[in-house]
Amino acid sequence: MALASQHLAADQQLIEQIQALLEDPAQQDNPMRAPLAELFTLCESQRERLERLIRISDGYHRASREQMGTLAERYDRQLHRMEKLARISDRYQDSLRQLNESLKEAALHDPLTGMGNRRYLMERLKAEAERALRKDTAFSLVILDVDHFKAVNDTYGHETGDQLLCEIARIIPLSMRDYDVCGRWGGEEFLLIFPETSVETAAPIAERVREAIKQITLPSLAGKHPVSASLGMTNYIPGERYDDAISRADDAMYQAKQSGRDQLQII
Amino acid sequence: MNELKLAGSQSTPTVEGDWDAGVLRMSGDSYPENSFELFGDIITWVENYLSSGDRPLHLELRLVYMNTSSVRAMLDIFDMLESAHQQGREIRVDWYYDPRNERVVYMADEFKEDCSFPFNIAPDEIV
Repeated sequence: MALASQHLAADQQLIEQIQALLEDPAQQDNPMRAPLAELFTLCESQRERLERLIRISDGYHRASREQMGTLAERYDRQLHRMEKLARISDRYQDSLRQLNESLKEAALHDPLTGMGNRRYLMERLKAEAERALRKDTAFSLVILDVDHFKAVNDTYGHETGDQLLCEIARIIPLSMRDYDVCGRWGGEEFLLIFPETSVETAAPIAERVREAIKQITLPSLAGKHPVSASLGMTNYIPGERYDDAISRADDAMYQAKQSGRDQLQII
Repeated sequence: MNELKLAGSQSTPTVEGDWDAGVLRMSGDSYPENSFELFGDIITWVENYLSSGDRPLHLELRLVYMNTSSVRAMLDIFDMLESAHQQGREIRVDWYYDPRNERVVYMADEFKEDCSFPFNIAPDEIV
């Protein structure tokens, strides 16, 4: 900086020296004076041009820098917006997915007992029927109907009836194997599915369920109404419609009812 | 001319712009087939309102579900509100949600993020 101003001062000094010489009356007849005067004018105009050039060039430079700054700022802002948009949109999508799952859960479950409902059981029956066909293995199923349930409702009220259904729903899976399936088929009817298991193997499990139901005691029944169920069991025959197996199990269940209830019948 | 009234449908929100009261109400779900058409009207209304006079603008929102292009349009609207607010305009947003659907709070919170004007998120009273 100091060096630059020294240069400037020297330049200025030279200019003043030349101006003084050109104005000096003693030098008016010097043959060098006219060409020196021309050279001086040329030099001055070149200097002005140079300065104008620098000014213009600096102006362009500044404008392009500013534009770049604005672009970068706009880019950052757009990026921020995009990220925000994606974040909000993802949240909406998440909440839809969760809603979807809870709807599916609600669609397949019985609200009273929390068990799988008829729709759920039908899906499982279809899947088991397909598996039976594929592997050529039988599976067995049971229709379980609570005995004298109408009497419970009529005598002790619907609330007690509902309590009894919930207790039965809780008890049934405890006597079954982990991979067996059960659910509420409707009213006081439950459906038990034993995948890849024939009635020979599944019958003792069904008996266990029947025994467990007999042990149920509800305070509101006060031991005055013995709890029991009638069970109808059948093998699913690969290739048949699962409805056919269901109606056989139904028939077996009615046989159990007719033979005095609280028993398992197999067709 | 200055009143904005759009009857809602399953996929579009109910929109009501009350020019004299300085209130814009939007409620319902928003996943229109053509969100530019729907929000174009709303954005124009907000633009017109903000560029005429200096009366405050109050947004009363009860939006539930929004698809991505609706979210984008709402961000545009909030940007307009923000710059009006920066220029000294009185702006207020109240976003009400059904207390049974608290997830909406998170969404509204995200919208609120870059806004420096009053932006309240509150549960609706259950009637």
